[in-house]
Formats: sequence, C-alpha cells, structure tokens
Amino acid sequence: MSGFSEWLTDVNDVQASKALAVGLPTKRVESWKYVPTRGLARTTWQPAVPQTTRQFALTGGQFVNVPTDNGLTVSENTLTGSEQERLDGISQAHGFGLTQAALEDTHLILTVQRAMSVVLNLSHLANQASSAGFAALIIRAEAGAQLTLVEQFESTNVEKANLSSLRCLMTLERDSLVTHIRFQAANTSAHLFSNLNIECCENASYRLQTVEFGSKLARNDIYIALSGREASASVNGLAITNGSQYHDTHLTIDHVVGDTTSEMTFRNMVDGKGEATFNGRVLIRKDSQRSATEQSIANLLLSKNARVNPKPELEIYADDVTASHGCTVGSLSKTELFYLKSRGLSETDARAFLQYAFAEAIVDEIEHPDIRKLVETQLLGELKHGELIAELKDSVDV
Amino acid sequence: MLSIRNLHARVGDKPILKGIDLEVNAGEVHAIMGPNGSGKSTLSSVLAGREDYEVTDGEVIYMGQNLLDLEPEERAWAGVFMSFQYPVEIPGVKNIYLLKAAVNAIREHRGLTELKAAEFLKLVREKLKVMQMDEAFLHRNVNEGFSGGEKKRNEILQMQLLEPTLALLDETDSGLDVDALRVVGEGINRMRSPERSVLLVTHYQRLLDIVKPDFVHVLTQGEIKLSGDYRLAERLEREGYEGIEAA
Ligand SMILES: Nc1ncnc2c1ncn2[C@@H]1O[C@H](COP(=O)(O)OP(=O)(O)OP(=O)(O)O)[C@@H](O)[C@H]1O
Ligand SMILES: [Mg+2]
Repeated sequence: MSGFSEWLTDVNDVQASKALAVGLPTKRVESWKYVPTRGLARTTWQPAVPQTTRQFALTGGQFVNVPTDNGLTVSENTLTGSEQERLDGISQAHGFGLTQAALEDTHLILTVQRAMSVVLNLSHLANQASSAGFAALIIRAEAGAQLTLVEQFESTNVEKANLSSLRCLMTLERDSLVTHIRFQAANTSAHLFSNLNIECCENASYRLQTVEFGSKLARNDIYIALSGREASASVNGLAITNGSQYHDTHLTIDHVVGDTTSEMTFRNMVDGKGEATFNGRVLIRKDSQRSATEQSIANLLLSKNARVNPKPELEIYADDVTASHGCTVGSLSKTELFYLKSRGLSETDARAFLQYAFAEAIVDEIEHPDIRKLVETQLLGELKHGELIAELKDSVDV
Repeated sequence: MLSIRNLHARVGDKPILKGIDLEVNAGEVHAIMGPNGSGKSTLSSVLAGREDYEVTDGEVIYMGQNLLDLEPEERAWAGVFMSFQYPVEIPGVKNIYLLKAAVNAIREHRGLTELKAAEFLKLVREKLKVMQMDEAFLHRNVNEGFSGGEKKRNEILQMQLLEPTLALLDETDSGLDVDALRVVGEGINRMRSPERSVLLVTHYQRLLDIVKPDFVHVLTQGEIKLSGDYRLAERLEREGYEGIEAA
C-alpha cells in the first residue's frame, strides 16, 4: 500500500472508504491526462504536523494565527447549502477530490463585512517530508466589501516529497471586489493542489494575479462563475517551469448570466524537461447576452525537452457577445536575439532579456507594489543570467 | 580595415550576393546604392552576422580577422555596428536597459571600465541631445511603437554610444523628414574619424549631400557593377539605374 491508502484506512469513515475505492485519477480522467501521479502514489503520505509561526499561515492542514482585523469575522459555522454543494462538486470530480474531502479536517470561514476593506496575507508553510496537509477556506465578501488576499509559499527546502492542498470557496456579494495575488515559489519537492471556486454576484469583481515557479508539481483548478449582471473576472497568470517540474492550471470562467465580462491572460515559460499544462475555458451560456471575454495564452519553449499542453476552449452559445482569443506556442524570436547580439549582448544575456520581457508582461500587472517588487526580484533570481537585468533595474529605473 | 573578396551568399536556394569585391580603408565612407532587391541589406546583414543568410563562397577580412568566423556579438565587440533598415521592436525590454548593457559589454571587450549609472546617464543624455531625442525614449520599450523616423534616430543614438569602428548603415535616411535627415546626417558626420569607416546604404542623394562619401558603388543583382566618387551619385539621381546600365 502506498499513496494515501494507509491514511484513508486509518480515517475509516464513509468518505475515506469512497476515496479508497476510487483511487487516484489515472490518465483516463481527461482533466488529469498530463498529471504525473507516480510521485503521489509512490510516497506513503502521513498527516503533516503544524509548525509554530507568527504569521497567518496554513501549516499541516491547519490555519494558525487567523487575523482579527477590523471588518473581518472568523467563524466556525457550518457551510451554507450552496457552499456545501460547490465543495461537494469539487470532491466528486475524481478520486483526488474524494481524497481531499476525506482528509480535510477544518474549514475556516472568513467574512469580510459589508463595505469594509481588508488585506489578508496568507503564508503557506512547507510540510515535512512525506507528509501532507489538507484544508478548506471559505471566504465571504459581503456587499461592497474589498479584500486583497496575498498568498505566498515558504521556499525552505524539504528533502523529500511534501504535499499541501487548499480548497478555497469565495462568494463575492454585490459590488464587492477581491484582488487575489498568488505567488508560488515553494520548495522543489512540494506537491501543491489548489482549488479555487469563485462566485461573483451583481457588479462584483474578482481579479487573480498568479505567478508560479516553485514546487515539483502544482495543480490549480479554478472555476469562476459570473452569476450576477455586471460581474467581472480577470486572471493574469505566469508559470515558469524548469528542471523536471510540472505545472498545471485548469481555469474555467462561466458567464452564467449576461452583461458580464472576463479577461484571461496566461503565459507559460518552459525550460529543461519541464512540462506545463494550461486549460483555459470560457463558457458563455445561451442567455448570457452582451457578455465580453478576452483570452490570450502564450507559451515559450526554451529547450528541446520542454513540453507544453495549452488548450484554449471558447464555448459561446449566446449570439450578442464580444470575444477575442489567441494562443501561441514558440521559442525566443531569432530576429530579436540577433538584434540584441548585434549590439554586443552575449547569447545568454540576450536570452535572459527576452525571457524577462516575456514574464514581465504578467508580473507588471500585479497591483500590489511591494509584492510586485518581490516577485520581480525573485523572478530575476530564477532566470539564468537574470543578474544583469537586476543590476540594470537597480541602476537606471526611475 | 575591411576587405570583401568574391562574396557569395544565398537565402535557402536563392543566390543573392554573386561575387562582391570591396576594399574599405580606415576613415573612408562608402555609399552603396542600387535598385530594390539588389542585395544591399543582404550584404550588411551578412557582415553583421545574421544567420538567415548562408555564405557559399568568398571571404571577409576585418582588421586582420576572418569576420565570417565570428558570432554577431563578437563582431559587435570587435567594433562592427549595423543600423537596421527595419529596426526590431522588443516588447518588454526598456531601451535604457539595452543601451547600458550594450555600452558596458562593448567597453568590457575594449578593456575599459564599466560605466556606473551616473556616468552612463550623463553620456546618454549628451547623445540624446545630439540626436534631438526626448529622454522619455529611454524608458520606452526598444523601438516599440516608435515612428519610422524615431526608430532610425534610435539606431544612430546607439551608434553614437557604441562608437563602432565599422558602421553599416542600411537606409538610415529612409522615412526621415527634412529636419530629421539633417540630425541623422550630422550624427553620422560627428562619428567620422580617421579610424572609423562607414558603409552607407541609401537610395537618395539627399543624405550624401550631408555625409559626403569618398566612394559610391552601384550594386545590381548581387554584384557591384559600377564604382566611382561622389559624382556617380549625382549621375544616378539624374539618369536612374536604367540609364547607367544602358551606358
Ligand atoms: N529571408 C529571405 N527569404 C527570401 N528571400 C529573401 C530573404 N531575404 C532577402 N531575400 C531576397 O533577396 C533579395 C535581396 O534582398 P535585400 O533585402 O538584400 O535587397 P535590398 O537591396 O536591400 O533592397 P531594398 O532597397 O528594397 O532594401 C530580394 O529579392 C529579397 O526578396
Ligand atoms: Mg534593403
């Protein structure tokens, strides 16, 4: 026995038995087609032990130091009927969903009160070798509330596979605004699973800015429902995949009603033997007239062995819709490289310039200046020969 | 400084340069004229090291080195600079990053110390003034959204900063208004020196009125068919290439 079987056997309840019976998804589950599950199955996963920290953090499947900001309510109440339904929907998708449901013990519920404005900084601490933590976070943004949620991941190295799963439900009541910044530079043995299920009511707006270059394996399942008129969503994402990393984002934006807008911009940069999957689906239902969507997906391959699996899906059933989309896969432009080299830049510096430019288009969109700076700095550390650009930024930026 | 001997080059299966011979001594300005598609840009690109072109025969000796053996960046380090007929836009890379990185890369290979930010800014402001360019161009992405004329000025700005030994200027005058033509022409003149040579590709005598060439060559169908002094350009202006070929 390996994977989660022993743990599930110990838990021994109805959900655990279901998860055990179904097992981890195989290649035959379409949405898990490319996910390398061997590492997951090979480790005998144990419950991770929460660590002490002073920050608001997720560690060992527990939230610690939950903030008590003005405007924020923390509750242990049970989920609403609709929240439970949404969570069950994630659970029932496949065997990993069932495993998440069975091994999650706490649900943290945070409510941003009516018209209040709150900033939350959530740190994800690394779990110990061969251990895993499962948690769920429910966020309710009341009418007119504003929330900035910044998630960061501890990068301290762990010598063996470690895993963290967070399923997050957010409900944005009318006129609320959530800016969600996710910066994932986790340790290179981490297996990270993130589910985001967002519901935007009338005139609510959800903006996600995500930059990911850490972990061994990361899988993000994002579903955004625009279920009230004038609701909008924007997603700006960058994944840098190197070595033998695997990054996978499955994103669906569902225009449930009309007069809604969405924007999806995602870039993958893949080097080494890395593999990245991006599935970007926009659904505009039959009666969702006067909706607008913009989708742009760009993939940059930097080595012969790098792989990328981009899949844009536009499903438009309404007729009065504005939609644009584009998906490119390519390597660095030879003409641009030649131009830079003809000015005396070495091949490696010229490549670093162009890689930086590709990534910067997304990083530049991060609305939180401190985080943007932090991400830029780390990004330059991540790029081969990024130090030249770091030095230039320091010396001549105004 | 530069000896081109029997240079043949092709793109794919298509021969473009069919035996170019050209001697350029230090301090000389050579104008290359010729009909569209005759191979002028191909010649400059081959000299700058663009890999789309395959050299099938001949050799190029630049300051005692076999130029064709060098990578494009090595040619830049050795003092070769090409002003592109179509300057390349590089979204996401600020002009000032490229300028500073380029200046210091070339200084390093000339055994000079790296310019610190303040020294570099002083230098670049000086050159901007010469080119009558606004400082805002430094903080825009390389050539992105620049007008045709602004791109050409930016090329000459780079040349001013990099101080090449051999400048290959491919139609740097095309698309310039009268005032810009004078600025660019004078920018080139400022660079003239006994140690520096210029290969000037142009279609118009206007630029040659400002930058007086020592020699004028006519490139037709991949070969230099005619060479002469400044008066050849005047004759071309009057008679056109057809008149000259017929003669
Ligand atoms: N990459 C390429 N693929 C195919 N043909 C090419 C390529 N590059 C150049 N050529 C051809 O080679 C010939 C010479 O081109 P080149 O650009 O050198 O001409 P030119 O003399 O600079 O012309 P112009 O005055 O219009 O700038 C042209 O017929 C052109 O179409
Ligand atoms: Mg040309």
